[in-house]
Amino acid sequence: MALDVKRFIARFVEESRDHLRRLDEGLTVLAGNPADGETVNALFRSAHTVKGSARMLKLMAIADLAHRTEDILGALRDGVLLFDGDLRRLLQRAVDAVAAQVEAVAEGREPAAAGPDLIAALGEVLQPGPGAGSPAGETPSAPASGGDTAAPAAALPEPAPAAATAEPPSVETPEIRLKSSETVRVPLVRLDELIRLMGEVVSSHARLRQRLVDIRQIGRRMTDGPAVPQITGFIRDLRDDVSIQERLMEELHAKALVMRMLPLAVVLDPAARLIRDLGRSLDKDVDCVVTGTEIELDRQLIDGLGDPILHILRNAVDHGIESPDQRIAAGKPRHGTIRIEARQDGGWVVIGIADDGRGLAIADIRDKALRKGLITAAQAGAMSESELIDLIFAPGFSTSSIITEISGRGVGMDVVKRTIVDEMQGVISIDTEPGRGTTFMLRLPLSLAVMRVLLVSAGGESFGFTGQYVAQLIEVPAGRLLLAAGREAVVLDNEFVPVVPLASLLGLQDQGKRRETVLLVVVSVRNGKLALAVDDLLDERDMVIKPLPAHLRHLPLVAGMVMDGRNRLISILHTPALLSLAARARDGAVRVASDETALKGAHILVVDDSLNTREIEKDVLEAHGYVVTLAEDGRDGLAKAQSEAFDAILTDVEMPHMDGFSLTAALRQDERYRDTPIIIVTSRQKEEDKRRGIEVGADAYIVKGDFDQNSLVDTLHSLLG
Amino acid sequence: MAEASGELSLDRILADREKRNGTVVSVDEPEVKLVVVALGEEWFAVPGDLVREVLPDCPVFYLPGCPASMDGVINVRGDIETVIDLRGLLGIAPPADRGRRILLCEAGGMRSGVRVDAVEEVMDVPQSRIQAPPQTVPESRRAVVTGIMSYRDRVVTVLGLGRMFEAYRAGLG
Repeated sequence: MALDVKRFIARFVEESRDHLRRLDEGLTVLAGNPADGETVNALFRSAHTVKGSARMLKLMAIADLAHRTEDILGALRDGVLLFDGDLRRLLQRAVDAVAAQVEAVAEGREPAAAGPDLIAALGEVLQPGPGAGSPAGETPSAPASGGDTAAPAAALPEPAPAAATAEPPSVETPEIRLKSSETVRVPLVRLDELIRLMGEVVSSHARLRQRLVDIRQIGRRMTDGPAVPQITGFIRDLRDDVSIQERLMEELHAKALVMRMLPLAVVLDPAARLIRDLGRSLDKDVDCVVTGTEIELDRQLIDGLGDPILHILRNAVDHGIESPDQRIAAGKPRHGTIRIEARQDGGWVVIGIADDGRGLAIADIRDKALRKGLITAAQAGAMSESELIDLIFAPGFSTSSIITEISGRGVGMDVVKRTIVDEMQGVISIDTEPGRGTTFMLRLPLSLAVMRVLLVSAGGESFGFTGQYVAQLIEVPAGRLLLAAGREAVVLDNEFVPVVPLASLLGLQDQGKRRETVLLVVVSVRNGKLALAVDDLLDERDMVIKPLPAHLRHLPLVAGMVMDGRNRLISILHTPALLSLAARARDGAVRVASDETALKGAHILVVDDSLNTREIEKDVLEAHGYVVTLAEDGRDGLAKAQSEAFDAILTDVEMPHMDGFSLTAALRQDERYRDTPIIIVTSRQKEEDKRRGIEVGADAYIVKGDFDQNSLVDTLHSLLG
Repeated sequence: MAEASGELSLDRILADREKRNGTVVSVDEPEVKLVVVALGEEWFAVPGDLVREVLPDCPVFYLPGCPASMDGVINVRGDIETVIDLRGLLGIAPPADRGRRILLCEAGGMRSGVRVDAVEEVMDVPQSRIQAPPQTVPESRRAVVTGIMSYRDRVVTVLGLGRMFEAYRAGLG
């Protein structure tokens, strides 16, 4: 595999200059105190590092000279040599020669080999002996290494004046000119401080904007008087100044953030290497293909990403990829492939980690969760495939039945999820197919320093949502809200989405203004959606999120706070926590409802690819005493229908893998389901769709837009007799 | 009252000595700095070295899901700090109006504002003036009261802020 040298050259030059500077300084220190062992050690390490890096990049001329320097420093360290003025001058010569070579590399030239007399002198120090007087070719390796470097040097367009001609060794007469470095190394803390300050500046700018709003209001109230034209002019100027300032500041902030950005290669390349090694140690043939490593993220995220990615990769190698024998038996190529693909999507980066292994064993996950008491048998039966998969993120869950050295050591997927979701404000999801492999999708912001924030008001307080969770903002007539199992819902794109007033969800007094229309913030976390009714939309912009004090980090509802133009602190709501809060509230409501009605006990299969729709239909049916099992697409539904007997089936039309029409047709082929009531519940309202539904054998066709829980229950009731 | 007479007798001894020897003997008794605050009808003291700052009343912002004993958060020069209401923790009836001072304290591995009605005094007192908490301390306070002291004819309850904050932090999980 060819190493893309160019990418590393800049880093090599930077690093080597640093080490050469240390070598210079160290030699000066030694001149004052020749017995300083610490310094000798440090010098040795610097020379060693330069040698190693140069060798990796096939810069053999540099590697050779650095190697010789290292040898002498090694002898010095071991006490074989003594430091004196001559040795110091020789070492300095060698260091300068290496520096000249490094500068040649920096300018894009091939470094010339060191002059033979320098090589000879370096060799002589280590092998003092009779031949001390005649320099040329004493050390056996010298001519050989000279030859090594001469070849590639000659191949370059720039004629190499070096080793071959030998006469005036170019490295010995470096051009006398002080070179200003093109890069500056800045300690990270300083950069962090700068970015933090930039964040404060951006935050405080909100105040300036607020002042503009205030003065405009004052201006509007002043109708006459001699000062009016002046005020108007002042407002105009202020507005222009604020907007110029804002533009400059945003640019400055963006530039500052870029300074702390690192390419994903920093995490992904070593991870890929590690994974290949890991595969070998497990006797599995694993290839790891990485793309999109040039995408840059804030260092804060890069730092945090290493562990979760490594954990996912380890799982893929350990549990996902089968042994070569198993793979061949399954008709797959002998070597497994793990693809890490990163791409940018707006202000987000999406990282997909896909293996072509055996896929997640969903039945095993369910059994394990049951055994560990994470779910009850009743819950397990009602859970859809994707909900079962999500169980691997539950604390205390580890899929490995034997604890191997590679994975399954306590830190599990729950930590991965927590890191991605809580610490990085990201989203993680899994897609798996038996026998075909598993894909983890990570969606991350490019930087945590500023985030897109939507500010709303509800129950007399202000709240914020970070952009990645907001799926839709929509205002609907109050009449469009449906009532299902005692709660409100709205149909959005073929999906039932539960509607909850944000104020009451947070336990605040609902302002209770009944309005013609309802303002909804639709938030989505992976496959779950929730429509939050709010009073007003306040603002939407990039904001700096401040962390809560450490003792409140466990507060589930709040992800951090932002400051508005009046220095008020506004909570950024942690959307996943809101969804689970809403789900808990719902569970309570459903239980109450089902107590009130007589249990009919008929077993209904609900098939829909939308999690919310399934849940709402389930709630409605359970509230009326039915027992409900969920399936998330036609294929899943068919499998469940075949393994268990149902009294009736409710299905959506548009679903992945197998649509509702095909499912209905397939069920009608089955002896057991020839006469079972099948109800299609869909947002398709064209006549031809309805006709098609009846043709394939559905008993009823309910359009979601006109959904009325009574009509569903009545229909079901009449069909079940 | 026993304390007051004790103090008197100490003064008298010193005065006697001075008379006899003509010099003042400096007594190296350890002193503690205390911030005496009012909460309703009662006075409490917190160790002064744990109080970073006394803030004037400032707007407190709502924090969804925070414990009942917490008012919310305040903005202290760009940093977010919580505000704890001691009344709830000490079993004092809620006030007619909100306290006007916030002590920014750091103890037990946590930093938080503590709301009080007023700051009465900041003073150095000899360790010996603080007596062990009496048996009559109500159960709810027993864990956080480290001593009592009399001052300006009132009983001042000394609070162990470190222990209090530690317990508070543990309670937050």
